[in-house]
Amino acid sequence: MYDICIIGSGAGASPIAYELSNAGYKVVVLEKGQDYKEDDFNKDELAVCRRDMFTPPLNEQKHIINEYSQSGKFTRYDGEKSGWNFWNGSMVGGSSNLMSGYFHRMKPNDFQLHSTYGKIKGANIVDWAISYEELEPYYTKVEKVIGVSGKVVKHKYQEPRSTANFPYPELLTNGVTQWFDKACDVLEFTSIPTPRAILPKDALNRKGCYYSNFCGSYGCASGAKGSARAALLQKCKARIITDAFVYKIDTKHKKVKSVHYYTKHGIVHVINAKIFVLAAQAIETSRLLLNSKNKDFPNGVANSSGEVGKNLIFSAGGSGQGRFVFDKLNKKEQKELMQTGVFFNRSLQDWYDYEDGCHKYKGGTIDFLFEHQNIISRVNRELYDEDGKLLWGEKLAQNIEKNIKESRVLTFEVFNDWLPTDNCFVDVDDKERDAYGVPVGVINLNSHPHDLEVGEHLAKQAVKVLKEMGAVDIEYSISSSPPPNLVAGGCRFGNDPKKSVLDKNCKTHDLENLYVTDASFMPTGGSVPYTWTIYANSFRVADIIKERLRNGAI
Amino acid sequence: MYLNQRRNFLKYSFLGSSVFIMNGCELFSVTTIHDTIKVLHTDLFPKANELQIETSNYISIILHHERVTKEDKIFLKNGVKWLNEASASMYKKTYTKLLFQERQELLHAIVQKEWGESWLHTVMTYLFEAMLGDPIYGGNNNEAGWKWLSFEGGLPRPTKAYL
Repeated sequence: MYDICIIGSGAGASPIAYELSNAGYKVVVLEKGQDYKEDDFNKDELAVCRRDMFTPPLNEQKHIINEYSQSGKFTRYDGEKSGWNFWNGSMVGGSSNLMSGYFHRMKPNDFQLHSTYGKIKGANIVDWAISYEELEPYYTKVEKVIGVSGKVVKHKYQEPRSTANFPYPELLTNGVTQWFDKACDVLEFTSIPTPRAILPKDALNRKGCYYSNFCGSYGCASGAKGSARAALLQKCKARIITDAFVYKIDTKHKKVKSVHYYTKHGIVHVINAKIFVLAAQAIETSRLLLNSKNKDFPNGVANSSGEVGKNLIFSAGGSGQGRFVFDKLNKKEQKELMQTGVFFNRSLQDWYDYEDGCHKYKGGTIDFLFEHQNIISRVNRELYDEDGKLLWGEKLAQNIEKNIKESRVLTFEVFNDWLPTDNCFVDVDDKERDAYGVPVGVINLNSHPHDLEVGEHLAKQAVKVLKEMGAVDIEYSISSSPPPNLVAGGCRFGNDPKKSVLDKNCKTHDLENLYVTDASFMPTGGSVPYTWTIYANSFRVADIIKERLRNGAI
Repeated sequence: MYLNQRRNFLKYSFLGSSVFIMNGCELFSVTTIHDTIKVLHTDLFPKANELQIETSNYISIILHHERVTKEDKIFLKNGVKWLNEASASMYKKTYTKLLFQERQELLHAIVQKEWGESWLHTVMTYLFEAMLGDPIYGGNNNEAGWKWLSFEGGLPRPTKAYL
């Protein structure tokens, strides 16, 4: 029998595997996808970005999506027929292999959203069950163990730190960052070097970044990116079983007894362990609990509260861009603009909260980055003229050549809170089944109008910077469209077993030996990408589990 | 070995499978996807020919790719049929038999229709995949597409095509 069985192998799962196996416990990790190593990764745009080689085919595994309008009515979409894809990285290390690694900590106020900013009608806002101070040592641990590079600058919303700076210096940046910094000086904004989960040099028995020019969406061929696989799983003795799709959790007397998984050929395996940790990504974690219902848990395992699947959240906001054209630049500036490989790495957090009239708003983060280098997608964006007419022939060739060779697009991404609401939740479908024969997850989507209001405010600030820098063709889009790679909630933690699925230690209230350590625990998401917080919380829970095992409490 | 031959037969038979062109209720002509796409690609983006990049064979990869949905493959094939039927209706000839100017007029006519715009966009997307994808897929001869745009592919490059 194993001491620990972990379902999933991403950022929420791997710190548990790393800590517990390195402490001498017998750990097994069950991963649905394949295992890849650095040597397996390349920069094939067709395979990775256009044929989605790292996610399950939608004709085998899909979701049903119910999109709610503000009136409360919804439209149902079949994921396979609509092509609406909520999968991220189905592989050892999960989507952390493919992340860009923009790492921001949540701020102290993010842990007390309700107390600090008050109630918002129609939103299920609560404070977290822990404080920033409780998580701070683990944010610091992630900096060291996963490897976070950057430079701390003083600004109004800089969160308290137990160390003065990051353990790794900033990655190399493009000369255009200086234009950005100057524009921020003029506007009296604070330019922040974006911290990245990327090693700038060889360290931690991993190679440093080689500036491939293709980072986000791709696996890292050097190991510089702090994926859960490269940073943790490849450095511990946990047994990893791939091609293991867990479809059922068996319980007995308030304990999980075993989990059952299918291989892709339909062979059933059963794993017994003392402690089980569920970290299959927010949507799939809720789906598994709901699909595992039994006589003791008729509404789903660990669901006596009825809260499993509820209050699903994403990152709200959107994106925008501006173009820098050769016609407006001197030769030196043109050369700086076209320098590839190195990063842009600039963020703004001046409006992490802000006042508008007599109301205090929780704001968010804006990250700036150059348009992805993928050449096929860049060229595809040139297919229409300014009037929206499809181009072809010589005219199209001229447009492509001019825009690709004599200009470059700087983009920005806005991250603000996606407020939890009653109509945003995970369920399972009565009829639709995946290739394993298991009921598919239903993603019910609803966004709060407040999210758009805040996103708009932030986007307008980003536009000011682009204008000051001299960009043209500036545009942005703030929408309620959910980013599939920024999903959390569904098993929120809290102190009241009637209103939450997990206790403050991320153990289920209902079961003595079942923990959930992916982003499901988050009752609100903060206004930053989630990965750093998921890692930090998982390291925190690893310490709690270690202590329990050491004390013989299980 | 036998299996590979069998697979290749199926592969080429599907790509080469006939597209029946109707004019009203009558069979007007028979063509293939590849024959039409080959001419269409030169009409839509002659730069590829100029750079000596062959793009039309890439359609074979798309029509047999496990990650391209059946619906998308059918749409690609149906578009060939609809283009030729529009050609038959306007000029009493199939697309490949039209003069260059007639083909351009036809493209300008079908782009006004919802299916036409969507289909031409799809065809061009695959054309640029062939032209600007890694040369391992058979297009982008000698990286000519990348060189045209002063683009350097990311490293490491793939050592085998993902099909």
